[in-house]
Amino acid sequence: MSSQATSPRPLDGLRVLDFTHVLAGPFATRTLADMGADVVKVNSQERAVATNDPTHPYYLMWNRSKRALSLNMSNPEARPIAQALAEQADVVIDNFSVGVLDRWGIGYDTISAVNKGVVYIQMSGMGEGGPWSNYVTYAPTIHAIAGLTQITGVPGREDIGVGFSYNDHQAGLHAAVAILAALAARTRTGKGQRIDLSQFETGVNFLGPSLLDWFANGHAAGPVGNDLPYDELAPHGAYRCQPAVKGSTAIEDERWVTIAVLNDGQWEALRDLLGRPEWSLNANYETSAGRYAHRAELDARLGEWTCEQEASAVMQRCQAAGVPAGVVQTGVDLLENDPQLAGVGFCEPIADTESNFGQTWADRLPLHFAQTPCTQYSRVREVGEDNAAVLADWLGMSAEEVAAGEADGRLS
Amino acid sequence: MSDSLGALSGIKVLDLTDERGIYGVKLLADLGADVVRPEPVAGDPLRQRGPRLKDQSLWHTYFASNRRFVTLDPNQSEGSALLAQLVAAADIVVICAGAFCVAEARCPQVLEERPDLVVVDVSSFGDEGPWKDYLAPDLVAGALGGAAATTGDVDTPPLKSFGELNFMVSGTYAAIAALSALLHVRGGGSGQRVGVSVHECIASCLEHVLMWYLYQDKLAGAKGPHLPRQGSLHWSNAYKVMTAKTGSIMVTPAPDFEAQMFWLVEEDAQEDLIDPKYLELENRPLMVQRMMEVLHGWVASKDAQALFHEAQARHAPYGWVLPVDKLATNPQLEARAWFTDYVVAGTTLKGPGAPYQFSATPWRIKPAAEVTTGTPGEVLAAVGWAAEGGGS
Repeated sequence: MSSQATSPRPLDGLRVLDFTHVLAGPFATRTLADMGADVVKVNSQERAVATNDPTHPYYLMWNRSKRALSLNMSNPEARPIAQALAEQADVVIDNFSVGVLDRWGIGYDTISAVNKGVVYIQMSGMGEGGPWSNYVTYAPTIHAIAGLTQITGVPGREDIGVGFSYNDHQAGLHAAVAILAALAARTRTGKGQRIDLSQFETGVNFLGPSLLDWFANGHAAGPVGNDLPYDELAPHGAYRCQPAVKGSTAIEDERWVTIAVLNDGQWEALRDLLGRPEWSLNANYETSAGRYAHRAELDARLGEWTCEQEASAVMQRCQAAGVPAGVVQTGVDLLENDPQLAGVGFCEPIADTESNFGQTWADRLPLHFAQTPCTQYSRVREVGEDNAAVLADWLGMSAEEVAAGEADGRLS
Repeated sequence: MSDSLGALSGIKVLDLTDERGIYGVKLLADLGADVVRPEPVAGDPLRQRGPRLKDQSLWHTYFASNRRFVTLDPNQSEGSALLAQLVAAADIVVICAGAFCVAEARCPQVLEERPDLVVVDVSSFGDEGPWKDYLAPDLVAGALGGAAATTGDVDTPPLKSFGELNFMVSGTYAAIAALSALLHVRGGGSGQRVGVSVHECIASCLEHVLMWYLYQDKLAGAKGPHLPRQGSLHWSNAYKVMTAKTGSIMVTPAPDFEAQMFWLVEEDAQEDLIDPKYLELENRPLMVQRMMEVLHGWVASKDAQALFHEAQARHAPYGWVLPVDKLATNPQLEARAWFTDYVVAGTTLKGPGAPYQFSATPWRIKPAAEVTTGTPGEVLAAVGWAAEGGGS
């Protein structure tokens, strides 16, 4: 386990052999590691470039709380070590293209013959089989082909999409769900199994109601801006407020607030807050359907009210009146100004800085376990930094054997 | 090796969620958990959510899949007794603060009596803090959580993602909370309450946003702690949706910039990219910017579909921008028999399939169950939870 002592956590004792890279896979194993699993991240000096380099910010974000093992899988002599590790693992996870672990001799069929309880999960882009099975994907690829890009934006455009790698995070979280479910099944059957997670299919799944709408009604949902696609709600949008720097028109200084009126009572409350100006008493606005039909003029009026105020003030006034509203928070807001996140210590420096990484940080697992808190995180490790400890713990290898492996290039 | 039971067969889950957590219970239910969802006598308000087929909510069909539904009035003695017995029989109770029956379910007290119970408590902002009582539907949650600030373009407002993708994040975390806490119980540990803050969930899934702030000194091109919304242009500046002659396509020269360069040269479309200055390491951001400009012009003469397949044949991770209707006939989804049948309003129709495939314990969608009504005894007998207190 991690050298950092912790109180009991829900996944203590779970062994995870981690062949993942970039975001989706590492996020899955980060989640398991945060909950106490002994995640052994396999990397090599040869592969430790770009986002696979432990000093890269991307790597720093998604690989905390894991132990680092260097295994040069391009060297056939290293593969028996990988096989022995897989035979000791509860979970083996990878997000290579389909078939890589099989070619290394550590595929599910080989390992499960010895390790009956092992859970294998492959998080490939397209899943095993099918004409696109070998297609190469990153999150922007998946967003595009899964419909998420086309459908997130404003009418008439299909070049906006979600502004961050949503599907990578969700693929990672769904992998964690799948692993935990397979482990729960194992407690009943005594057997492990193989999971084929297609990040494409995970992404398409998020359009569930719209897919049903297409098959049931022949209606293809499209981008709707800040509206909800099937609910006639207004006002329901983002409204410009005073810029952070007076007079600035730079996008960096823009401030916005969202307001979401869900029913007539909330509209009534908002209208009171506005001081019941004459325009707001228009009969068109008495019902949700009426407000929705005239939402362009309603949004313009509301924008005139918000643009003279600070976003946080609008939010506070609306919330105090029972109207859902929230500032459009940037990363700076989240980490400097957000009282909720500050209150739970959402992002804290990691105390252990004994490496060439300098100061690193951990944003907390957003799960608050009452009995098994998961609030301690260890820093990212150098490639192979934990070779001796991992191989002793999992395989009983001596320090001399590990040193020999490092010297001959297997553990490099 | 096939097992007709789902992975979570035999695990009893009581679903007291609203939009913030219902997706998490769906994940459990579709993997075979035995899920009961109480609703008011007048019906679950979520049954009113569109889209619809006849009088049936397709939103409810998707998010409330594989449940058994029971009606109860928690303020009447029979309803109160039924609710208490459902809580007593459950292995896991998933609640959303303020949702139907949550207050009456008395989960904190039951946890004291049932040391093996898992309660997953999904709230907008957690238990404490100045915003704990703030109202936060998906639009507001996504704004405060940091998702909206990075979505949209310079000429649009900040945007929410389509539908309720933010709540699908908190839902997924709720499922992780439920299963990890359950495994702890199955391993001999105690049950417990697990708090899930929607706000924290969203903030934890923002890819570059926190990284940009925390490690800006290590990021080439970072000009401040916050990267404003910039349409589809990725934070690395190397992925962007471009308009082709027919259709749109996400284009990227990453990760193999050299291969992309050769492709442009093959088509005599490289323009000035062969200038040696672009080989200098310090000019890499400039090279990426220039290559994206060249690609813009090159893509404009292409057919998006053909370009997508050609790029993928070259192992370049381009992505053809597909709308919902094109997904319905997608050859990859068809080859993997991904779509599954749903029965809605007496009609069988295709709908979304599994987000993952298990080799031994099938994921499946069962026809929607009728709502069960009756005395507590009748309801418990009907759902098979009678006289089994203490969970399975």
